[in-house]
Amino acid sequence: MELVRLALSRLGSSRLRAFLTMLGVVIGVASVVSLVAVGQGATSGITKQLQGLGTNLLTVNPGATTTGFTRGAAGSASTLTVADAQTIQALPGVSAVEPETSTSQLVVAGSLNTTTSIIGTTGAYTIVRNFDVWQGATLNGAAVDAHLNEAVVGATTADDLGLTASSIGSTIKIGGLPFRVVGILQAKGSTGPTSQDDQILVPYTVVEDQFVPGQTVRSIGISVATAGQIDTVKAEITTLLESRHAIAPGGTDDFTIADQAQLLTTVGGVSTLLTVLLAGIASISLLVGGIGIMNIMLVSVRERTREIGIRKAIGARGRDILAQFLVEALVLSLLGGMIGIVLGIAVSALIGQLAGWGFVFDPITPVVAVLFSLLVGIVFGVWPARQAARLDPIVALRYE
Amino acid sequence: MSLIDLQGVSRIYDLGHVQVAALQGVDLAVEQGEFLAIVGPSGSGKSTMMNILGCLDRPTAGTYRLAGTPIAELDDDGLARLRSRTIGFVFQSYNLLPRTSALENVATPLLYQGVPRKERHARALAALERLGLGDRVDHIPTELSGGQQQRVAIARALVTEPALLLADEPTGNLDSTSGADVMAVLKELNAAGRTVVMITHDADVAAVAGRQVHVRDGRLVA
Repeated sequence: MELVRLALSRLGSSRLRAFLTMLGVVIGVASVVSLVAVGQGATSGITKQLQGLGTNLLTVNPGATTTGFTRGAAGSASTLTVADAQTIQALPGVSAVEPETSTSQLVVAGSLNTTTSIIGTTGAYTIVRNFDVWQGATLNGAAVDAHLNEAVVGATTADDLGLTASSIGSTIKIGGLPFRVVGILQAKGSTGPTSQDDQILVPYTVVEDQFVPGQTVRSIGISVATAGQIDTVKAEITTLLESRHAIAPGGTDDFTIADQAQLLTTVGGVSTLLTVLLAGIASISLLVGGIGIMNIMLVSVRERTREIGIRKAIGARGRDILAQFLVEALVLSLLGGMIGIVLGIAVSALIGQLAGWGFVFDPITPVVAVLFSLLVGIVFGVWPARQAARLDPIVALRYE
Repeated sequence: MSLIDLQGVSRIYDLGHVQVAALQGVDLAVEQGEFLAIVGPSGSGKSTMMNILGCLDRPTAGTYRLAGTPIAELDDDGLARLRSRTIGFVFQSYNLLPRTSALENVATPLLYQGVPRKERHARALAALERLGLGDRVDHIPTELSGGQQQRVAIARALVTEPALLLADEPTGNLDSTSGADVMAVLKELNAAGRTVVMITHDADVAAVAGRQVHVRDGRLVA
């Protein structure tokens, strides 16, 4: 307690130097705190977006074509059909299935127009892909069966076309054909370069009639009832499609099944690695800050040699001097650490705001940062303090 | 029993290729309540004498008992404790802690005795008042005159109520008025029963003491 008071008054008497000494630790701790927070923010942001794509989602995509000995790109085959989707629907553990076909068309609403992707699907799309309907309703089975020109518009597309809540029931033109707007989707935020909010859902039957003839689909989205069933359902779909597509056991499948959980794990792993990497780089600046403290403390011991001699002559033991200098280094590093935490939290809140994933604050980070700065204080304070404690009082008193 | 008891004390500095004897076979006894001046020109070994008497250094030969404690048996921490309890130092160049108020300077020896803060300040204040510095407690050394600084140093030496007041050229940096003033203070303290040992090269200053011993080339001469 006494020593803390002594250290504070000592540091108070040379504020600029104390501040500059602390600055290294301040920057070090601030960068550790903010970079870890940014890493965690990015992780949770990406995870949230991936989860937004659909829960327990399996996506079946057509596989590669093989012409002679040449294997084409994945998705180049057009082997998946609406019928495939309908049979998958019957499998146990499958809660919803939607086939998707797509085309890109010019869309006109009043005086506004845009070109966007038109997804031919069913009402199950919003369930499987985890969309909420903002206004109106999603596609219904009757419209799909009756080949009705009905459209459910994505949030961004609705904005582009000037569609509002009152536009439900109005008519827009897609590829020159009139469609009735039955619903507008809730915005989800973008994932990657293509926005999930910039699209229009129409019955797949209409796409087949008007734009892309044929029964083949771009992909089939499947929502599995519970997460635990994903692997079984995946296996069942594989068996089913292999038999439907007449693929011999051991042959090359003409489709692939993508698994949301797998993707999440991979992305989570990568961003954790990134966080650790960032924290590691930031700790280097903390180390440099610690060396700064050691440097100043060594200079300080030199400068205050006479003071140390006086203290020893009037009764200070080596350990009293050691404690005095160590506490000074600790106060410096701890003070720097606390300023650094405040700064780091402010910076990470700002970055979170700018990047749009919000502010993720893990209380462990400042605790670790404080402990780390204390450690820095001890490690880099002990040596100068020992130098001070070992001074011979006679020599120290004579020192000018 | 004498307060200070030196028997055959030598201090030899080993400079590697040559050995220098700063003190050789010194016998000295100082009784409780004495005012002793150790007089000698520079280079006579009186600084070494001061270091040994002040337990800042150990003799290379002979025995030194301070208040009955043989200091050869003490380690560095033991010496620090002995200094803290038994000796008050007054230096030629005052040696006050810089940027530290007179009160804190005087209170510091008590800090190392583990005296609580409040009591430290009360005792430091009393010591300063005794030396007529009651109105200077918040001043830092650079705001005080030489004579005042030396008075603060004396207050610091006295605050622990030490058995021995050890003064090394206490008037060396002072003008004659301040010097006479400091000597009067020492004389007064001695009259009140404090043992004072003063090291000086100045015969006039030494004359104030009750007894004088002279050092020449590391030996005591009568």
